[in-house]
Amino acid sequence: MQVGDESALEVLYGRYGGLIFTLALRIVGDPELAREVLQDTFLRCWDGMDGYDPARGRVPGWLMGIARNRAIDLLRSRPHQARLREREPLVGLASESIQPDAADSIMLRRAVVSALRRLPIAQRQAIELAYYGGHTQVEIARELGEPLGTIKSRTRQAMELLRAVLWPLIEPRREA
Amino acid sequence: MHPTENLAAYALGALEGPERINVETHVATCATCGSLVEQYRAVVSTLPMGLDPVAPPPEAWAAIRAEARRRRSPVREWAGTGVRPRWRRAMWPVLTTLVASLLVWNVVLQRELTRRAPGPAPGPEVEALSRRPGRLVILAGTGQPGASARLFVAVDGGGHLAISGLTPLPRARTYQLWFIRTGASSTVTGGTFRVDARGLAWAKVIVPASLDEVRAIAVTEEPATGSVSPTGQHLLESKTWQ
Repeated sequence: MQVGDESALEVLYGRYGGLIFTLALRIVGDPELAREVLQDTFLRCWDGMDGYDPARGRVPGWLMGIARNRAIDLLRSRPHQARLREREPLVGLASESIQPDAADSIMLRRAVVSALRRLPIAQRQAIELAYYGGHTQVEIARELGEPLGTIKSRTRQAMELLRAVLWPLIEPRREA
Repeated sequence: MHPTENLAAYALGALEGPERINVETHVATCATCGSLVEQYRAVVSTLPMGLDPVAPPPEAWAAIRAEARRRRSPVREWAGTGVRPRWRRAMWPVLTTLVASLLVWNVVLQRELTRRAPGPAPGPEVEALSRRPGRLVILAGTGQPGASARLFVAVDGGGHLAISGLTPLPRARTYQLWFIRTGASSTVTGGTFRVDARGLAWAKVIVPASLDEVRAIAVTEEPATGSVSPTGQHLLESKTWQ
């Protein structure tokens, strides 16, 4: 995207706006705050495209990183809301019916849903608390009353399982 | 020894403090672990696809577009035309002069640190640093006019950052130094720091073992715990240090 290229920004929004809003809503649990995250993510993209490094991966990962950090930031500034979010069910698995998408994206989405379903609940919980809750391993261990080593092992095992299933699907898309 | 147990947590942004820095430092020089972290990160970026999709409000795009138009500044307009403002053209002779000053850089460093460091005067450690040979890098306030920083990198890898002109941040935010590399390797952080009420700071930073692949050095604003990768715009930046 060229700096100041509004049409490119619109294309990015059309492609990833829904996913970013979904992610933000999952983290902050409030549509207004999620909209704030959505807007902030695209305006940060608009203000500082220099922050994107193609060597680090594709644009969606970069955008998700911005959105997630901004949402976690908002969540931490509202501790009460964070506690409410943590009581909610861990995963809402996608029905893939809302957003039209390319065939390979649908395939990847199915794979993500399937891989998450295959994770033991304790492993999925470790991943969710870290990614959607913004918790560190130490915080998760404290929260769940488990040894830190146990949480690290669960996180690693979960990520290994996800990597084994998803990386073969992601890699060709990165090279495309 | 590879920090295998912590790589997944690192990719999830769930490590902090010394553990995070240890992994960052290791990944910067270990291709095996770097590749694994890259794969983990790619996997992490797909996790939102496992959620039930929710469409944003229809008016959201209009609000983003309106704000983007409002933010379009004269600086962005010249970026698109290839015409650089006068101050940018004037930077080259200044930078040349600064590079020449490396010949006497130990004197410059001592003076600089003494002048810029908040709190007590620098002690023996800084004096020792000033006597070590190394490299001086200037970071200009690309995203925050008036701000600047000087990064002193000793040949044995020690790094010290002297900053001025940055805005003091609330407790939930911090500044973070980044080494942005080319090729397949990832951006790595040099550490986080805060400035005092005068906008000054002097911080020890971690410098990658090899600077050969570093194409830019930047400072961004991040959440207080620091980020795994830059999320804010570049407030300070140096691309001409090599």
